[in-house]
Parts: sequence; structure tokens; C-alpha cells
Amino acid sequence: MTTPSRRDLEQLSAYLDGQLTQSSQARLEIRIKSDPGLASALEQLRQTRAFLQRTPHRRAPRNFTLTPGMAGIRPPVPRLVPVLSWASAVAMLFFIFTLGAGLVGQLSVGRTASMHAAVPMGSGAGPLAAAPMAPSRGNPATVVPVVAAPAPLAPAATEALATSVPLAASSNPPAANQSVPPTPTLETSIKSAEQATPPAVSWLAQSPAVPKSLKRQVDYWLYIWPGMGVILGASAIAAYGLNKRAFQRKNPPG
Amino acid sequence: MDESVLILDAQHGDLQAFNTLVLAYQDVLFNTALRILNDEDQAADAVQDAFLSAFRALTSYRGGSFRAWLLRTVTNACYDELRRKKRRPTTPLEPETADGEDVESPHWLADTHASPEESLDQAELEHAVQHCLENLPADFRAVVVLADIQGLDYSEVAIAVHKPLGTIKSRLARARSRLRACLQSYRELLPAAFRLEEERSL
Repeated sequence: MTTPSRRDLEQLSAYLDGQLTQSSQARLEIRIKSDPGLASALEQLRQTRAFLQRTPHRRAPRNFTLTPGMAGIRPPVPRLVPVLSWASAVAMLFFIFTLGAGLVGQLSVGRTASMHAAVPMGSGAGPLAAAPMAPSRGNPATVVPVVAAPAPLAPAATEALATSVPLAASSNPPAANQSVPPTPTLETSIKSAEQATPPAVSWLAQSPAVPKSLKRQVDYWLYIWPGMGVILGASAIAAYGLNKRAFQRKNPPG
Repeated sequence: MDESVLILDAQHGDLQAFNTLVLAYQDVLFNTALRILNDEDQAADAVQDAFLSAFRALTSYRGGSFRAWLLRTVTNACYDELRRKKRRPTTPLEPETADGEDVESPHWLADTHASPEESLDQAELEHAVQHCLENLPADFRAVVVLADIQGLDYSEVAIAVHKPLGTIKSRLARARSRLRACLQSYRELLPAAFRLEEERSL
């Protein structure tokens, strides 16, 4: 009877679990039959294993299921997000377009008004120039406040004044100017300067010199912008709500 | 539902499918962690960490025994916990005698519920096994727990502890040999059924 070596114990343990090759198993079985020490060690290992296998199994004290928060899962990006991004870009383009169109419209209206004012003064007999001249003809003193009025104007207005006044002065004969001061030119210039100052929309809506089509366009966009904002906001909220509900349905809490 | 389908769904981020797998394997993982750590709270923490790690690393699962793959995560979590315990050892809440020796099975830890004889036998057996397991090195303990208590075959144990088959054979043999010596010291304390079994073998 021999005390089994470490190598023998490994062989016996593997034999117990059926992990030896057929040839190794056959050789070991011959040794076990002839050596009571190996047979005893094998039996003790068998009993130890049986002992361990009978160890009671405990149930888990609680469930270890993961919540979306534990797993670090965030609700997916709403499917409408790319659409909304594009919608934002398009809205920005619309905004730039309408802003640009508004500015161009203002400039063109300003030029038109200046031209309307300047051309009759050049000829000296235009209807636009003649009409405002009539009331001031009998009272030259009224010219003074009108000329003094441009003081608080914007730089653009003073420029307009500077350019229009000499024009009017040079184009009109001195004799005519004595009796008819260049009041209409100044008034028109002040108006054109006012056109360059905000708020453009209120001015456009009120000014009699703005074409009706432009006024209509401005009124139209006043309704379109809030409408677009409401639609985009509502669609974003709806997309968020729908995705959140779908996510919660797929990954219930707890 | 088929396990492979659940795994596939879970790999695609389906948490509900993964939780079905959790419910199927949580007892196995908890028992393994409990035998390795010998502490219910720490074992529960290790199991929770293991399932969390498993979910995050699920894409790395390439087939084979899913049980072994899961047990690998819990074994790693247990090793981490043992390392942490080694760095910050805690004082056990066991009363001492006047001589400074620990009192075995203090009455304030005893189960107050009236338990049948079988339960008592099981408790004694469990206590003996747990005590002997605790005296083993962590690597040996994991192998013997997986092979003999959880019933994994050698290849599954090799996956679970990430070691070659030869190492598993060697560690298992040495662990069994050490346990045998330890359990023999408990022979007189064990219930009659186990004691007779042991005596028959000698």
C-alpha cells in the first residue's frame, strides 16, 4: 500500500470525473486493483465529491434583473429628430429669405420714393412736387421747422438730405426757388430715411408709399411664422411622447 | 423561449430578454458567489455586478456554454471582492470569550425559527463545507465550487475561470484532497447520515 503522490491524486480525480483517455483509464484501473492505497484515496475523493454535491443550494435572496437606468440605456433618439433638424434648416432659410426680401423691398421702396421726389423737382412741374408745395406757398415760415426736423435722424437720413438738397437746389432756377422753397424734397428725403429705420413691418403696414403686394406679403408671413413654430413644436412634443411610450413598453421599469 | 434567441435579442439591446436570462441563472450565480465569498450581502453585490458586466459585454459572447460565460463574470466579480477584502480587512462581529477566543455559533446568530432535523443536518453540512472552502486559496475554491457544487464539466470550468484544462484538473484534485482532510475533522460533528457515509469510505 503506497501513499498516492500528487500526480496520482490528479489522475484519480480526473478518473472520477471520466476525464482520462481510455488508455490512461485502463492503466490506472490496473494500478487501483493492485494498490489498496490508491483504491482508498479514490474512495475518499469520491466521498468528498459526493459531500460537496450535497451542499444545499440557496435561492437568490432577490431578483437581480436590471432596470434601464442600471444598464445605462437611454431612450432612443426620436425618429422625427432628423426630420425636425431639416425642418429647422428650412425654417432658417425661409427666415433669411423673408428678411432679405423685406430689406430689398424697403430699399426699393426708398429708392422709388426718392426718385419720385427728385424727378419732379428736376423738371419743376411734377404732380408729387406740386401737391405738397401748394399749402406752403402762402406761408414760407413753415419751411423752417421742416428743415430743422431732420436733426435726430439716423446717419442715413442726413446723407439723403445732403444729396437731395443740392440736387434740388441746382436743378431749380433761383427765381422759382425764392417763391417755392425746397420743402417737398426735404420731406421726401426724411421719409426715405425713416424707411431705413426699424420697425420696418409697422412702417410698411402704415406707409402709403408701400405697394399693396408687399404689404400683403408682410401680412402673410406674420401668420406663417407663428404657424410654423406651433407645428414644429407640436410635432417635436408628439415625437418625444410617442418614442418615450414605445421605449417604456419595450423596457418596463423594475 | 429558446435560450439562444434570448441571448441574440439581449445582444441587440433587448433588456427584457436579458432579464429573462437573469431570472434563469440568478440562483446558480448567487450560489457560486456565496460559496466563494461566504457572505450573503457580498455575494448579492457580486451577482448584481456580474449581471451588469455581462449585459455590457454581451456582444463579446461568441457561443458555447452561456452558463459558463456568466459564471466567469461572477467569478471575476468574486475575485475583485476578495481582493478588496484583502486590502480592507473587516473585523467579524463574533463575540469573544474571556480568553479572547471566538465563540462558535453564538446564540444571537442562531435561527430562532423552529427547524426540523433535516434542516439542522443541512445547516451543519453547509457550515462544514463552507468552513473548509474558506480555508482553500481563492483559485482552488472557485474551481471546486464550479465543478463539484455547481456541477460544471471541466471545459465549462476552464471557460469560467479562464484557465487551461490541465490547470483545472490539477487545481480540482488538490482542492478535493485538501477538502477531504478538512471534512474528516468535522466527521464527529456532522449528522449521522453523513458521518456513516464517511465512515463507510474509510
